[in-house]
Amino acid sequence: MSVVEFEVAGKKYLAKTDVRYTKTDEWAKKEDNKVREGITDYAQKELKDIVGIELPEVGAEVKKGEVIGALESVKATADLYAAVSGKVVEVNERLLEEPELLNKDPYGEGWILVIEMADPKEFDELLTPEAYVEMHKKAGH
Amino acid sequence: MCAKHQVVKTLLWDFHVKELNASMGEFGGWEVPMIYTGIMKEHMIVRTDCGIFDVSHMGRIKVTGPDVIPFLQKIYTKDISKTKDYWMSGPTLALNEHARVKDDEMPYKISDEEWLIIANAPYREKMLKHYDKVIKENGFKVKVEDLTFKLAMIAVQGPKTVEVFEKMGAGRVDDLHTLQFRMNEEIAGKKVFLISRSGWTGEDGFEIWAEPKAMVEIYRALLKAGAKPVGTVCRDTLRIEMGFVLGGHEYEEDPTKFPPANSLRYGMGAIDWDKHGFIGEEALRAYRREGVRWIRVGIRMRKKHARAILRFGYPLYIEDQYAGWVTSGTYSPYLKRSVGQAYIDARYAIFGDFVEVEIRGKRYEGRILDFPLIPGRPVVK
Repeated sequence: MSVVEFEVAGKKYLAKTDVRYTKTDEWAKKEDNKVREGITDYAQKELKDIVGIELPEVGAEVKKGEVIGALESVKATADLYAAVSGKVVEVNERLLEEPELLNKDPYGEGWILVIEMADPKEFDELLTPEAYVEMHKKAGH
Repeated sequence: MCAKHQVVKTLLWDFHVKELNASMGEFGGWEVPMIYTGIMKEHMIVRTDCGIFDVSHMGRIKVTGPDVIPFLQKIYTKDISKTKDYWMSGPTLALNEHARVKDDEMPYKISDEEWLIIANAPYREKMLKHYDKVIKENGFKVKVEDLTFKLAMIAVQGPKTVEVFEKMGAGRVDDLHTLQFRMNEEIAGKKVFLISRSGWTGEDGFEIWAEPKAMVEIYRALLKAGAKPVGTVCRDTLRIEMGFVLGGHEYEEDPTKFPPANSLRYGMGAIDWDKHGFIGEEALRAYRREGVRWIRVGIRMRKKHARAILRFGYPLYIEDQYAGWVTSGTYSPYLKRSVGQAYIDARYAIFGDFVEVEIRGKRYEGRILDFPLIPGRPVVK
């Protein structure tokens, strides 16, 4: 599997190697001119039990870095940011009933939304897996 | 520079980290086990099985001397003269002169001149200063001793707790009535300072105070008998379901930010109106006479908003009129619903009616309810 394990402050996290990342712990997977987005293993482990999610509407125009939703964990509310600019073409409505999928399978069944990219160059500006892992290792020191 | 901030490790820290693989975090100036296996899972362990909380961060204070009873009567809203030896008085409130709550505490009576007090961890130091001030101002002959750093404390909670104690050969413990306690007995071959039938979850259970070394052995014996470790986070979700209050959420001392103690509807006989001479009485009676603006209620979100989580400060609306604010909220794994506590304008405090909660600019509907928010728990004798 295309997955690497990394450690921060004694805790282990998984990062996929076939996706790109935001600094705010979202992953983004390129699917032609679209991007599928979710939260990383690091994010779900930090949030712990996720009990609710607020999704953007299908059809909404979003800008990269903009707050487009919210994740409710038992302890706190976390913002969800758009990885790229564009139009929301799909949201994972299953998460409304089963937000625990975000904890169980953040890179798989826990995907959150699909954005049709307005500017494909934005995807290339996202963090590579190496840069993402490095960012957390540095912050952990 | 940040303000100096000291965090104390719970007395069982090594055990949690090295043997139980707990995820640790800060609460009230203490580093405590937050989660072991998952918040929702741990919550349901307490509701259906048997869980062990480390509550060694709770302030435990011994007060002795000929004036202990007048001293406690001055501090608390409850008439503690009715408490019998080896019984807890039930929870009660320590007020300031504005009738705002300084802390909700539990006095334990050993004898007329010897009592124990449980204070909440974030307020322990403040309360020790308050006790000293009250003792000095009134010339009370009372000695205060802080036992917090000497004794560990666990709460074993859940419907299968008695079964677990039987299985580990703890000896007879289920003869203890709710709020009754015993001291200096042996459990699992280890001496305990105190065992009481009590807790803060709404379930049956016992709380044990013991020296840290003995406590680790008792903890191990409990695990072997089928109890499971449960963390501080699910203590919060459990108490929200029951309608128990937490400082910083449902009460605080500042009269510009929090309603008076009357508004809490604390229940459990925490306030005795026949009693006179306690701190805050004048203001408390004035609010009683004139009526209060805010009432603490429960909210259970409608099924279609089951995942709309309530947080402190979210505003409430009824027919577009501002009607109050949320004080606590969580997802109840027991009800599979978002639930919470709120202060609602007394004119709108109609149980069974609906109220709207504004979350990030959108309104969601929930029902105004009395506590507890979950079906009645089995009453222990």
